[in-house]
Amino acid sequence: MRKILIANRGEIAVRVIRACRDLGLTSVAVYSECDRTSRHVRLADEAYPIGPNAPAESYLHIGRLIAAARASGADAVHPGYGFLAENETFAAACRDAGLTFIGPSPEVIALMGSKTAAREAATAAGVPVVPGTDRPFDADASGSAIAAEAARIGYPVLIKAVAGGGGKGMRTVVAPDDLASAIRAARSEAGAAFGDTAIYLERRLMRPRHIEVQLLGDQHGTVLPFVERECSIQRRHQKVIEETPSPVGSPELRMRITSAAAAVARSVGYTGAGTIELLLDEEGRFYFLEMNTRLQVEHPITELVTGVDLVEWQIRIARGERLDLDSASLLTPRGHAIECRIYAEDPDAGFMPSPGRIAALTAPGGPFVRDDSGAEAGGEVPIFYDPLISKLSAWGSDRPQAIARMQRALREYDVRGIRTTVPFFRWMLAQRPFQDGEFHTATLDELLQQREGEPFSTPDEDVEEVAAIAAALHAYTRRGAGDTPPGPRVGRTLRVRRASLEGSPHDVVARAGWKQQARLEALRT
Amino acid sequence: MTFEIEAPSRTRSVRIARAERGYDVTVDGRQLPVDAVRVGSAAWSLLVGPAEAGHHGRRSYDVGIVERTAGELWVYVNGRVVPVRSGGQQWRRRRGEASRGQTPVVGSMGSDPATPQRIAAPMPGRVVKVLVKPGDAVAARQGLVVVEAMKMENELRAARAGIVRDVRVAEGASVEANTLLMVVE
Repeated sequence: MRKILIANRGEIAVRVIRACRDLGLTSVAVYSECDRTSRHVRLADEAYPIGPNAPAESYLHIGRLIAAARASGADAVHPGYGFLAENETFAAACRDAGLTFIGPSPEVIALMGSKTAAREAATAAGVPVVPGTDRPFDADASGSAIAAEAARIGYPVLIKAVAGGGGKGMRTVVAPDDLASAIRAARSEAGAAFGDTAIYLERRLMRPRHIEVQLLGDQHGTVLPFVERECSIQRRHQKVIEETPSPVGSPELRMRITSAAAAVARSVGYTGAGTIELLLDEEGRFYFLEMNTRLQVEHPITELVTGVDLVEWQIRIARGERLDLDSASLLTPRGHAIECRIYAEDPDAGFMPSPGRIAALTAPGGPFVRDDSGAEAGGEVPIFYDPLISKLSAWGSDRPQAIARMQRALREYDVRGIRTTVPFFRWMLAQRPFQDGEFHTATLDELLQQREGEPFSTPDEDVEEVAAIAAALHAYTRRGAGDTPPGPRVGRTLRVRRASLEGSPHDVVARAGWKQQARLEALRT
Repeated sequence: MTFEIEAPSRTRSVRIARAERGYDVTVDGRQLPVDAVRVGSAAWSLLVGPAEAGHHGRRSYDVGIVERTAGELWVYVNGRVVPVRSGGQQWRRRRGEASRGQTPVVGSMGSDPATPQRIAAPMPGRVVKVLVKPGDAVAARQGLVVVEAMKMENELRAARAGIVRDVRVAEGASVEANTLLMVVE
């Protein structure tokens, strides 16, 4: 294996490029039209276009990806996460084209990718599952059949996409009246994201924790579990903060859940990196939720507490190497690690996506901080893809130290031009339930509800005064051409109301922007 | 020169004058010891407080400025964004705008039943489904239109019962933020 094509974009493509470089392998990026100048393209050794912006026309287009692999002479394909990472057709297409797919076999992806088949596999391996549908509901399943099943399982019920992941195609239904509209939304979202509208139902447990077990399996029958990750801080079923070990992760619990997870993976002959997701109830009982047959978004925190490079091992396993890691050390975390998923979303507007151009970006650094980012100053966050721009991780010798370092890093994170979830994280890390480690999967949604939309970024008096001074300085220095730095200011003019000495305020349009301004005004009316 | 700067909590009168070195800054008639140095085309380092011995707490602020629409600026102060306006209307973020729960309820501005609900796109995206047609009677919280952005589908619902008067978009259309999608009376 000498050259790896990365069938993905954004921060995960950057992560894989770095692993390739560490191993002395050549990396090949692919890009849609709007990603031509994205960070992953410029960082890779080689890059090939794969079509228009719509995911179905590029990052989900198997034919174009295989063609790019052929054109580049790559001998392996890394799918990252999302897009085609859990698509058995893609894995099979790679195999048929003589390319090594860096992940499990198409058969195992198909088996564990079907949430219902995965539940059967878990049950067969002796691991309990959450009560739910035995068989999926296809697109033509009748609404009344689904309603009957929901009534049998009992409300509140969760609708989930059979092909799902990342909270997409997932809806909670509290009362039968809301079922039809939730099914429609879930199916439509699942169809768009995964090309499969099949759904299934599951009982919604009350106040559970979301715990997961990272696994590596080689091609020689060895499957090794890692210390658990705690992923209960979720908003609308999407993880936003992960940490390891879990605040409730006693050695005894760790032994039980990691051996159960490894048993499920061994029973299906799992190879590569994968993750078993579990729900842990308040009595310490755990239930198999699903298996993700790919690298997980939150893999860096496991790397930080075990010292194992998971992406490097994905590649080495695909090359046929034996897992020669010390299994006991993988279950003995060194210190504590936390990750915050930084999204291009406006937390003050209901976490609406905030695409656009990043005017300036300063990422945090310093001791024990890691920033896995696909964004950079001058870059564009397009509307077509997941709005994750960075994963910020911090390590500490214990949980309080990891939290303090994360808070320091969040204080330094400065992204200008688009809104991000950084202000939300600054707030969240200070919350009592988080600080105390006492939370469950609905805690964040409950805390947000209590805030009733209160903005996260309300500035204090000093900050606001400084902002006002800076705005005035900005306007003042932009008046005369002499003070204005060179470069185009397309479509941007600054209108300032000038309080003149005579006391009759009138508009002053800065610099030669008045023409642009006049045009804008004309367009508006 | 004096500027009226509207920030979230209130408007301030900020007077800027060239000084021998740097600028003299007066806020609401109060002269402040500010050392302002430009560090980029839209970035400043501000040290606020007297530098002389005997004083403490000369605060350091790293400031960046992004021009949004005409007159609206996002000023970043030590990584915290402060939206300010230096023109016409008072800037104030509406509390609790957009979604708080599962799906955004739009048209909530018109809690007065006499006001038509104007259903607008909350973000740039694509209209994946139009669930109603003109003339349809809709119930409160009924889904009206589904807008997809960044792989998430957001169902926009009616804030209260009414009749669909006007549907301005078709399925598949790309829309900008604030594009009017439909009106419900």
